Amino acid sequence: MKKVLWIMTAALLTMTSCNSNDDGVDDGIVIPGITITGDVDCCSAEEALQVYKFLQTVKIVPELTTEVDGKYNVFAYTSTGSFHKGYNDIYFVATKKSSGNYIKYFDITSVTPLMYMVKMNMSHSTPVGSSYEVFDETRPAVKRGWVSFLMNTSDAGSWTISYTADVLDSKAGVEDAEIEVDALPDGQDWLKNFKLGDDTYFLSLVNPLDWATGTNTITAYVSKKSSPITTPYAVADETFTIEIDPRMPDMGNHTSPNNVALTKQADGSYQGSINLTMTGLWRIHLTVRDADGNVVAGGDDLSDGYSSLYWDVTL
Amino acid sequence: MVALFVLSTILSANADADTTSLDQPHDLEEVVVVTGSQGGRRSLKGQTATIDEHLSELSHVELVRRGSYAWEPSVNNMQTERLSTTIDGMKIFYACTDKMDPVTSYVESSNLQSISLNSGLNGNPQATGNIGGSLDLKLRKAGFEGARWEASANIGHETNGHVQVYGADVAHSGQRFYANGGVFYRHADNYATGGGDELQFSQFQKVNAFVNAGSKLGARDALEATYIFDRATDVGYPALNMDVAKAEAQIASLAYKRLFDDGRLYSWETKAYYNHITHVMDDTKRPDVEIHMDMPGESWTAGIYSLLLANIGRNGLTLNADGYYNRVFADMTMYPGGAAPMYMVTWPDVGTLNAGLSASDNITLPHSQSLRLNVKWAWQQQRINDEEGLHSLNVFFPGMSDSYFQVIGRVAANYQLTIGGSQFSLGAGWGSRAPTVTEAYGYYLNNTFDQYDYIGNPRLKNESAIELNGSYKFTASDARFSVAADANVFLFRDYIIGQFEDRLSAMTVGAEGVKVYGNIDHATIGNASLSFEWQPVDFLRFTSNFSGGIGRDADGDDLPLIAPLAFDARAAYSHRALNIQVGWRGHDRQRNFGRKYGETETSAWNVVQLSADYSWRYANLRIGVENLFDRNYSTYADWCDIPQKGRNFYANVTFKL
Repeated sequence: MKKVLWIMTAALLTMTSCNSNDDGVDDGIVIPGITITGDVDCCSAEEALQVYKFLQTVKIVPELTTEVDGKYNVFAYTSTGSFHKGYNDIYFVATKKSSGNYIKYFDITSVTPLMYMVKMNMSHSTPVGSSYEVFDETRPAVKRGWVSFLMNTSDAGSWTISYTADVLDSKAGVEDAEIEVDALPDGQDWLKNFKLGDDTYFLSLVNPLDWATGTNTITAYVSKKSSPITTPYAVADETFTIEIDPRMPDMGNHTSPNNVALTKQADGSYQGSINLTMTGLWRIHLTVRDADGNVVAGGDDLSDGYSSLYWDVTL
Repeated sequence: MVALFVLSTILSANADADTTSLDQPHDLEEVVVVTGSQGGRRSLKGQTATIDEHLSELSHVELVRRGSYAWEPSVNNMQTERLSTTIDGMKIFYACTDKMDPVTSYVESSNLQSISLNSGLNGNPQATGNIGGSLDLKLRKAGFEGARWEASANIGHETNGHVQVYGADVAHSGQRFYANGGVFYRHADNYATGGGDELQFSQFQKVNAFVNAGSKLGARDALEATYIFDRATDVGYPALNMDVAKAEAQIASLAYKRLFDDGRLYSWETKAYYNHITHVMDDTKRPDVEIHMDMPGESWTAGIYSLLLANIGRNGLTLNADGYYNRVFADMTMYPGGAAPMYMVTWPDVGTLNAGLSASDNITLPHSQSLRLNVKWAWQQQRINDEEGLHSLNVFFPGMSDSYFQVIGRVAANYQLTIGGSQFSLGAGWGSRAPTVTEAYGYYLNNTFDQYDYIGNPRLKNESAIELNGSYKFTASDARFSVAADANVFLFRDYIIGQFEDRLSAMTVGAEGVKVYGNIDHATIGNASLSFEWQPVDFLRFTSNFSGGIGRDADGDDLPLIAPLAFDARAAYSHRALNIQVGWRGHDRQRNFGRKYGETETSAWNVVQLSADYSWRYANLRIGVENLFDRNYSTYADWCDIPQKGRNFYANVTFKL
């Protein structure tokens, strides 16, 4: 009996130790150009790898790169390496010049986009996210914020961005870096505004191209025009509800059931749920209500029976 | 092939002396002979008739017509969802979300020896979900005992629509090896309706080639193989918004058969098969298309069955085990001018794995009595393989799973008693069916019949029915006169039908709204028919048939597509090799139409047809005229009331060597 047990145990050991993943090399994670162990300012090896992997999915914005104290580099990224009209996620990463290591402790502040309008010889800002934060704990060295551009670069005007970077108690920044903001293709319109009294509010739809046929989370921000208008437009303090009515104008205004209105979340964003029955152009008609439930924008039934306030999204 | 126009409801034993045909026919089965030399019910046009024309000879069958091609069989007033259609026991599933391609459209007359119909739950061994009935298309095989060499050719023409039919086949039969094969071509232009107006988009064209071969391995066992290629192109569907650019099938099988001579076991056959259907719709030839669409669909089926026949004492036993895996996928891309294309998955790549066991026993009892017992049990699992399709359906059915399983079955018993010239039959059964892919997972499938978009419902319950049937037939002692009556009723539970869903918005431009498939608590479908046959003298025979059906939903409202009172009367004269026939048939006004389900009333109609045929030793000529008085009419089963063919003269010749 003992012998049998012995053989079984031996057989079991052989089986568990035999694994095709074991190629005999024990080198750990290697990231080109980066040493990832033993740097207290950065992350664990796993976290550094996650940061590295994430940065492969976005593209650098060269205009916003800066150097701090000759010791650190700060890089900005967007999904395409450029900007477009409407909501843009911006990611910041700081590295040590010497080792290339990521730095966990840095702050990005005073991000100020400005449009200079040639004909009117005046400048205005645009809606921005209030702060740049870690958005995914598995990669603590990446900070995310956003800018929603009111218009694209054209003969009428051009955009600049300024910001301040604070890396390990050293400060530097970018002043009036000229950037190009692209127009969106036809069938995409992700930024709308409405007036309430003397105030103007902007509705920025967040990354609708992440949507797919089926049920999607719909996220947006409501920002309020600042005074003076060269100050970036912060997220509005008021609480609204944004009702959505997605329609397909090319399909006789076909719609989908069970859409959920966007309501304000703890982080200041608005979230709801949108159902898309197919790809194509979806016109999301909006009705904005204030905290008391009064309609403050959209919700007007025009000749076609739908609200004049809408986002367009083409999947 | 041979000029024999017998219009008899009784079929003599095994149609062809063919060892490869192992099924034992019984009284509960109705057969139409497509090719082959011996008697039986058959189409007046002979072998050049379309499959649809052959099917219409069966007494429980009506055909739903969306154009002049690919009609959908309706048995006991039930369509595809409640029928089983097999080709020599092989499962095959259509690939068009709009039912433009019933599987009967993927074979050609020359492929078949006969079509057999089992009404109601008394299905053939491979049938599943056959509440209304099961059709089995029997392939034509030369067999080991036929003529050594045989060849035939068919040429046909019809004036209305310039229908052209050309076919040729050749067969070799030997002690150890047989092979037969052929090619067939049909072409039809638009036809003219009664009065002479051309019906746009009623054209079609089809090619078909087939080969069957068998080789004996020993004295009593053999291997058999079949391959059919069928392709229809440029098929118009006047009742629908679009046509078909291509509908193509490849059907293949390999079977091992063994005969026994121990007096108990009779035969054992095991067949593996595969078929693949590609269906491509086309709206590019239509004027005023608001949005151009591409709507392709595909269906793959692989399966196996093993069938054992035995005769033990008074019992004729059939045992069958079968399994198949079917995948269907369809999608739709719409191209609005200038805007982004719109894409949706309409059949989300549904894989169905089905395994079943069936048994039947024909028991011969003393005093001219017989009893047939029939049972089938099947298990199936369905899985949605397409993520996008699953997410789309999730909008309507949050939390739905990507796979479901069903257990379905049927039991049926039929008792028959013969006393003198009288034959009584009583039957009862229970059976269930799983929802079809369209009913469970279809996504915005537009139905031009009621102008609604249909969405499937993955949470449907199985539908079940109790069937009761009875028949009586009296045959005079000199066999010159007979009268037969039969009736059946199906009492449904959880009947599946599209139900209005006002909360949803239609997708198709111009659609009235959306229906979602649902179970209604109960429904009833009943059918009755009465037929006479009289042969006062040897050369003259009169036959007539009256039939009607009724269908009610749980609220007592009429179900759609239920046949009104119908009659079919024929007089046949035969003298030596000459046969002449006059036929008169029609429908009463459809009084009980499914108003609630978007059906409109259909007026009464009747038409007269004449036909004649003459046989020589090596040839056979058939001529005739259909709709002699050029009536403009449509039947209740004409989708969107598209009118039937006007007057049509036809002639065809079959040469046989």
